[in-house]
Amino acid sequence: MTNRPPEAVIVDRGYRHYEGNRKGRRGAMGAVIRDGFRRVLGLRRKGRRKILPWTLITMMLVSVAVLSALHYAANQIGVTDLVADELPHNREYFEFISRVALLFIAFATPELLVPDREQGVLAVYLSRPLRTIDYLAAKGMSLGILMLAFLMIPQTIFHLLLGVFSPDGFTSYMVDNLDVLWQVPATSLAYFLGFASVALIVATLIPRVGFAAGIFLGVMIMFNGLAEFFVEVADFSGSEYGALLAFEEHPHLVRDWIFGASTSDYAVTRAGFEPWVALMAIVAISVLAVTLAWNRYRKLS
Amino acid sequence: MTPLFATRNLTHSYGDVKALEDVTLDVPRGRIGLVGANGAGKTTLIRNLLGMLQPAGGQMEVLGRPVSRESLDIRSLVGFMPEGNCLPLDQTAADFVGYAAELAGLPTDAARRRSSEILFLVGLHEERFRFLGDFSTGMFQRVKLAQAIVHDPQVAFLDEPASGLDPEGRDHMLELIRRLGDFGISVVFSSHILSDIEETCDWVVMLDGGKAIRSGPIGDLGIIEGLIVEVLGDPEPAARWMTERGATVKVTGAQLDVRTTGEDAFTLVRDALVATNVGVRRLGQSAVTLEETFIREAEEEDRRD
Repeated sequence: MTNRPPEAVIVDRGYRHYEGNRKGRRGAMGAVIRDGFRRVLGLRRKGRRKILPWTLITMMLVSVAVLSALHYAANQIGVTDLVADELPHNREYFEFISRVALLFIAFATPELLVPDREQGVLAVYLSRPLRTIDYLAAKGMSLGILMLAFLMIPQTIFHLLLGVFSPDGFTSYMVDNLDVLWQVPATSLAYFLGFASVALIVATLIPRVGFAAGIFLGVMIMFNGLAEFFVEVADFSGSEYGALLAFEEHPHLVRDWIFGASTSDYAVTRAGFEPWVALMAIVAISVLAVTLAWNRYRKLS
Repeated sequence: MTPLFATRNLTHSYGDVKALEDVTLDVPRGRIGLVGANGAGKTTLIRNLLGMLQPAGGQMEVLGRPVSRESLDIRSLVGFMPEGNCLPLDQTAADFVGYAAELAGLPTDAARRRSSEILFLVGLHEERFRFLGDFSTGMFQRVKLAQAIVHDPQVAFLDEPASGLDPEGRDHMLELIRRLGDFGISVVFSSHILSDIEETCDWVVMLDGGKAIRSGPIGDLGIIEGLIVEVLGDPEPAARWMTERGATVKVTGAQLDVRTTGEDAFTLVRDALVATNVGVRRLGQSAVTLEETFIREAEEEDRRD
């Protein structure tokens, strides 16, 4: 008797129906939010897609390490005046991280919206249990969570390290600085709304990610210059309202207001506006951006 | 069983252009061909049925549910393969198809498992971890089909699924569509290539200029069996004999193209040849194609207008 190898092979595994649960609209929105994280952070993408986001994240973390080390060293050698007056604390640290956050949001916003629109993927989204407004809301939540994490995680690490290095002890530092617990989230929210609203307007209108990022940064810089022109050069009735075009400065003003600091030399303050006007400007631009995006996507879908 | 979809006086306009006009249909489950020339309203009908477009008038039901009130529930149960590009080039096939399943509400683990199974089914198992930007047109179409069925829909709406494919790719796609029907997934397959519909579907909806000109089983769509007869001698007496008995006869030289609707064509031709004493040189079968039927129906519709 010969032992012949089996000749049967599986050529078709057939088809199995899915009998598990379906999460419907909420599940679809959750999927869009998670995909937004992956897209912005370059996860499950080619290596070059990871370079920019992770460079910016590294910059944030390195800055925390450097700043905390400076505080540690100053405390070790006992120069408490330097620690109190010269070294940056939470408010001043926003000065640096808001610049990095501007770059982050410049590429993250179009990255979230433009490829879906230009590569036709919207047709797939909108054939699922997802409305246009759900899609936009989920994308906004992706961006919001990422941006707030981008701003607040370094601030939280910084705050905790300041407590650890404080000569008064960790608990004492935390109790003395309880206000930071609401000031940092509130300021982060102001930066998110102030920057993301303008980025959303640009990303809604421009069909390429790179162009949209460049145009956003250009708008922020150019409109600051335009605001300066209205405040310093223009001399006609109502020219002071031109100061409100300084979109990039509004969140800084709100930050100083939240931290109770004396407002720096911004075009908006030189034009005679109070910080709450900057907050109102942020809200107005946010409403405009959402309305514009909603209208554009409604027509597309 | 509830019908696949039903419409009543469905009307849709793009500005002044009426894309659909008073379309009333009752379509059962199965493999449904949606045929019509470019601009006939096929895509508009599908997008209306999915609730992606709001009609100017009329009612629609899909799987027994009213589209106007339950479009999101319907979309959980259907799949859609758009005609144009709809794939993100910077994602792998496995990631995108899994994501498409999550968008339909499947939990992440189940979505990944289904993605792998469906990519195997469409013949892309080996390529599932390649980025979509590196795919050929044929592979693109298969990924588009995979995303449409990954969540195990009750019906898949496929908008021109074979467009842009070479003959081999086209055959493979048609075979996949046939198999979906075997798996119990109804298919609405839109195409302007009527032979594809003929090969694949068991029910046909014909659209022309935004109007439904015919809807019925493919076997009943007036597809008339006929014969081509080449005779020895004068064909006119035999042609007259058959015409008097209700057949449609077209004479070209010595050749007769005989079409019958009720009577058996072979019997009629035999009797005609005996009665007129004409010899036969050649006898062959001919069938009116779906294409001829479509043209006839469209011409009749034009005449009615």
